[in-house]
Amino acid sequence: MEYIKNLKDKLKDAFHFNSKKERTDAVVRGFFLLATVLSASFIIVIVFFIALEGMIPFVTDNDGLGRVDLVRFLTGTTWLEGTAFQSNLYAVGFIIVNTLYIAFLSLLLSMPIGVLTALFIAKIAPKRIAEVLRTVVELLAAIPSIVYGLFGSGLIIVFVYNFAKLFGVQSKGGNSVLATVLVLSLMILPTITALSEVAIRSVGKDIEHGSLALGATRTQTNFKVVLTSAKSGIFTAAILGVGRALGEATAVSLVAGNARSGPSLGFFQTTSTLTSTMLQGLKETIGIDYDIRFSVGIVLMIVILITNMTLNFIKRKVGNVDVK
Amino acid sequence: MSNKRKRVDFIYQAITYIASSISVIVLSMIFIYVFSNGSGLLNWGLVVNDYHAQFYNGGIDPVTEFSTTDRPASLGDESYYSERWGVAFSEDIDREGKTIIVVDYVAPDSPLHDMFDKNNDVNEDFAIIRGNVVESIKFYDKNSALAVQGAEHMINELDTENEFREIVFSSLGGGIRGSIVTTLYVIGMTLVFALPIGIFTAIYLNEFAKVNRVTNTLRSMIEVLTGVPSIIFGLMGLAVFVPLTVRYTSADSANLVSGSLTLAVILLPVVIRATEESLKVVPDDFRFASLALGANKTQTTFKVVLPSALPGILTATLLAIGRIIGESAALIFAIGTAVKDDISIFGKSTTLAVHIWSLMTDEPANIELASTIAIIILIIVLILNITVKLISRRFTKRFQ
Repeated sequence: MEYIKNLKDKLKDAFHFNSKKERTDAVVRGFFLLATVLSASFIIVIVFFIALEGMIPFVTDNDGLGRVDLVRFLTGTTWLEGTAFQSNLYAVGFIIVNTLYIAFLSLLLSMPIGVLTALFIAKIAPKRIAEVLRTVVELLAAIPSIVYGLFGSGLIIVFVYNFAKLFGVQSKGGNSVLATVLVLSLMILPTITALSEVAIRSVGKDIEHGSLALGATRTQTNFKVVLTSAKSGIFTAAILGVGRALGEATAVSLVAGNARSGPSLGFFQTTSTLTSTMLQGLKETIGIDYDIRFSVGIVLMIVILITNMTLNFIKRKVGNVDVK
Repeated sequence: MSNKRKRVDFIYQAITYIASSISVIVLSMIFIYVFSNGSGLLNWGLVVNDYHAQFYNGGIDPVTEFSTTDRPASLGDESYYSERWGVAFSEDIDREGKTIIVVDYVAPDSPLHDMFDKNNDVNEDFAIIRGNVVESIKFYDKNSALAVQGAEHMINELDTENEFREIVFSSLGGGIRGSIVTTLYVIGMTLVFALPIGIFTAIYLNEFAKVNRVTNTLRSMIEVLTGVPSIIFGLMGLAVFVPLTVRYTSADSANLVSGSLTLAVILLPVVIRATEESLKVVPDDFRFASLALGANKTQTTFKVVLPSALPGILTATLLAIGRIIGESAALIFAIGTAVKDDISIFGKSTTLAVHIWSLMTDEPANIELASTIAIIILIIVLILNITVKLISRRFTKRFQ
């Protein structure tokens, strides 16, 4: 009884306001807090519900098809889907390799271009040209991924197909690792350029002046001092670029060719990524073909998380120059 | 400076020029590609037509009075005119690149106005009109005239007959009216869901929240959403919003509401960040002045801070609209890929971006129509981006 009375007093204190205005404040504040908690809760909703659905293939017997073996799922090299196979033989091991391989190659291609463009915009170009280029990069960033996909499957795969013929290789209409890498590197180029430019521009003037005073030319300073000082910021750009490359779906699904076994390491082989695999078999609304997409989704989230953590770890080891 | 140094410097500089030109080349190639492929289909009819053609079988009672209208002067040379029936056909290409026969003209006294719908006797609105696609004309006493035999053949066959069994014709399909309407619905609903929650969250974080661990956690939980790929949001929509709408509304599968809710979650971090940025720009003096005059926190927020932050919120809205129009991966799951003409918010149908995806994954892919839709999307997105730039330029000047 004593306890309840205490609690009552405490509550009374908490809800006691000196004026009407204070009470409105508290109500409004509570209302806004509610909106904030709602916004923040979505990440939990996402993780929880995708995990819930994605577990089903591994814990139930999938209407008589049998449980999907988790180890084989994560390490296997074939993905058999659809009514024709009616099996539990789903494996994403090779798809994980494909996804990382493609993201890495895309980064390799667009990183130098992006950083050099950023250097040009920030330090070398005349003001007018820099402004135009900045707009170009912004526009590239604003183009929706489906348009990149259209461009890729209309033009790039034709180019890749003809390019492959030069080497005497018959590619599946150009759907290939190379086409996917080209499309993805175009898509992450604006991200990398814009972020690198910010990093380059935030390099302290004194570092630059110091280099110039020591007799280095402008170009030497730009390449050896400015770029080195902006290292950590440029690395951040790379991390975001990889994130985008790993998660990109529609454009990739139009040029990858949806290989069902792998890994595909040759440039002209068809390939498949975690995202393009998720976009297959859309007709299913029930059963293992439906549930397995969520399992792939979990794998994608984990892959992105691990990649991010690894890159951030490397960044801490490498980015030792202080950038303000 | 040594000559060698100069040469090396020149090469280095040249490399940056080349690298920068790549962005320009890519952008122009995308535009050239999309416009050269898509501009052929871009016209008003595309925007107002249905996607799915309606097929009709038109029969006719024995005709007593034939048309007396002469060939109208407005008809071009490529049109073929039947004086007896008062109708003109010509050949055209449809939105999938196939040759078709189109009705060019129907005379006011054409007996074809008396045709009835063989599949639906009570259909009073039944008529063959300009723009319809003629598949075939079937006669009683001779072979049918088919579209593949050409417009001239069809008109000649028709002109020599006093009666026919039926005309099989259809409306011109392949239009994108349904997808445009869906996109507009989705934009509206998404903004209704995302803007209030996003703005309130931004206000809380910027105006009310104390700097402590709880606030930081909430903030970083929202921040994490920006890094989640949109296809994952799509899965979430499929797992959460689709069953939710199916259970509590008349929907029976992915629908416009589930799609909009999913998009709203994607846009929350965008709206929150843009609003917060604009709230931060409002000088603290404004708040202190308002508080000093006796206003409470609520009044200060709604009457002083928010109006000043309005351009920022407008920017957030425009950015959000751009994102909604371009989003495809999440919507493939959360709204479905079925292209429909009758739009209801609990029904299936799809937005322009997903329409492109459907067209591209069809066999064979319809690149022309996809490019035409891409032109529309690109133009809208570009206008939005330029507007955002102009607004934010004026806005940043205001408090300086």
